[in-house]
Amino acid sequence: MNKACPDPAEPPAASQYPPKLAAIVSLFEGLPDDEKRETLISYADQAARCAPVEGETYDLEDVRKDEECTDTVGIFLKVAPDRSVHFRVSLGPQVQILTRAMTSILCKGLDSSSIEAVLDLPADFVPRIVGGQLVRVRSQTVYYVLTRMKSACRAYLNRERAAAP
Amino acid sequence: MASGKYFFLEFFPGKEENVFQLSPPNPSVTLPVPMNQPAYANPDVLVSTAWVADHSTDPAIRVIESNEDVLLYDTGHIAGAVHIDWHTDLNDPLVRDYISPEAFARLCSRWGITPDTTCVFYGDKANWWACYALWVFRLFGHTNVRIMNGGRDKWTAEGRPLTREKLAYPASDYPVPARRLDDDIRAFADEALAQSRSGKPLIDVRSPGEYRGEITHMPEYPQEGVLRGGHIPGAKSVPWKTAVNEDGTFRTPAELAQIYSVNCGLRKEQDIIAYCRIGERSSHTWFVLTYLLGYPSVRNYDGSWTEWGNRVRMPIERSA
Repeated sequence: MNKACPDPAEPPAASQYPPKLAAIVSLFEGLPDDEKRETLISYADQAARCAPVEGETYDLEDVRKDEECTDTVGIFLKVAPDRSVHFRVSLGPQVQILTRAMTSILCKGLDSSSIEAVLDLPADFVPRIVGGQLVRVRSQTVYYVLTRMKSACRAYLNRERAAAP
Repeated sequence: MASGKYFFLEFFPGKEENVFQLSPPNPSVTLPVPMNQPAYANPDVLVSTAWVADHSTDPAIRVIESNEDVLLYDTGHIAGAVHIDWHTDLNDPLVRDYISPEAFARLCSRWGITPDTTCVFYGDKANWWACYALWVFRLFGHTNVRIMNGGRDKWTAEGRPLTREKLAYPASDYPVPARRLDDDIRAFADEALAQSRSGKPLIDVRSPGEYRGEITHMPEYPQEGVLRGGHIPGAKSVPWKTAVNEDGTFRTPAELAQIYSVNCGLRKEQDIIAYCRIGERSSHTWFVLTYLLGYPSVRNYDGSWTEWGNRVRMPIERSA
């Protein structure tokens, strides 16, 4: 088989994700369902630690309540001189547990990644972490935080381009 | 008793015909409450949080949590409560339908439930999924069912304890139900179509925007794959939320009677069909009509708008 043309049915290797996220994906893939749920809840419990810190400044802040989301979500992006990113996320109280868990996973897994790596990140890691049983139409907001993070990165790049001489 | 005109003007000012909406409960609004408050048609079907606190580990009772938030139970639940997931436990994994009678018997056996067990349901979202699970239990003929009034939110608002400990129950011997009561409390698309054509009551319990066809998703929710917006021709809009107070508890019998019997004009001798998007909010209204108001012939069209709004050649009506 021509290796340059991968089988589209084959899931990407975890190594194709940013290293910290790849480690989290690998961790979850090795867990039985019960432990997967417990680990997701542990991540959800840590979501509050992802909130913006008083006194810290950010290069981009995007706080809004979208019509199709249950509560307000704020994305706070900081870009280092080497163009690596650092996210903080604020979540309203109505945000579901799974979305809280994914917020925590993304803040940790994408920390220090490049803007380009965030923009190129495929969403197929979500069911690998969450498991097929928990991803359902009603819980599509599990993808929402990633979408908002990408949106913040795009807005940052656009602003950077607009400011360029 | 509050007059229909009083209630309508108070709560539905300027609303078009067929659209019965209820503003968010306003604490400053005091409805005239009769001296002899009428009771719910089946008052025993509602239990309070205090009652559940006293009985949650009673062997004759099984408290069942059913939520929309798929991990909420795992973060903490009422002591002794078991979890039933509407999607993975009650729905067939392949066909859009409910589980088989055999699978239902296995589910009950797993949680130590017998046909005599009193099943008390509660959950998030003012008991949407609790009512849905209760309705599915009724589909399989389990009659001993209750709802914890106010659901999980009321329990937590009262500062009552939650635990992460998951109790295991000895497996019970639950006989396989002889049949599912699809003909009695469930409606299918063709039956809803016949209902529409014959002018019999159809109750659309979705939000007014969904009913009018202005949006194809539930407010504050993602799209669920509906191609067209609007409502079943002839359906009246009575959003599920009209039946509950701000704390998720059900409105008084008099208020419910005003909403459904007086304002909406539902009569006890009628066959009534309720629908929403996938059947959970209409389960809530089905519960209100069947158990709290005592309407004898109410069916839940669980295919609801995700079926109707996608099916070829189904007639759709949109409000101006």
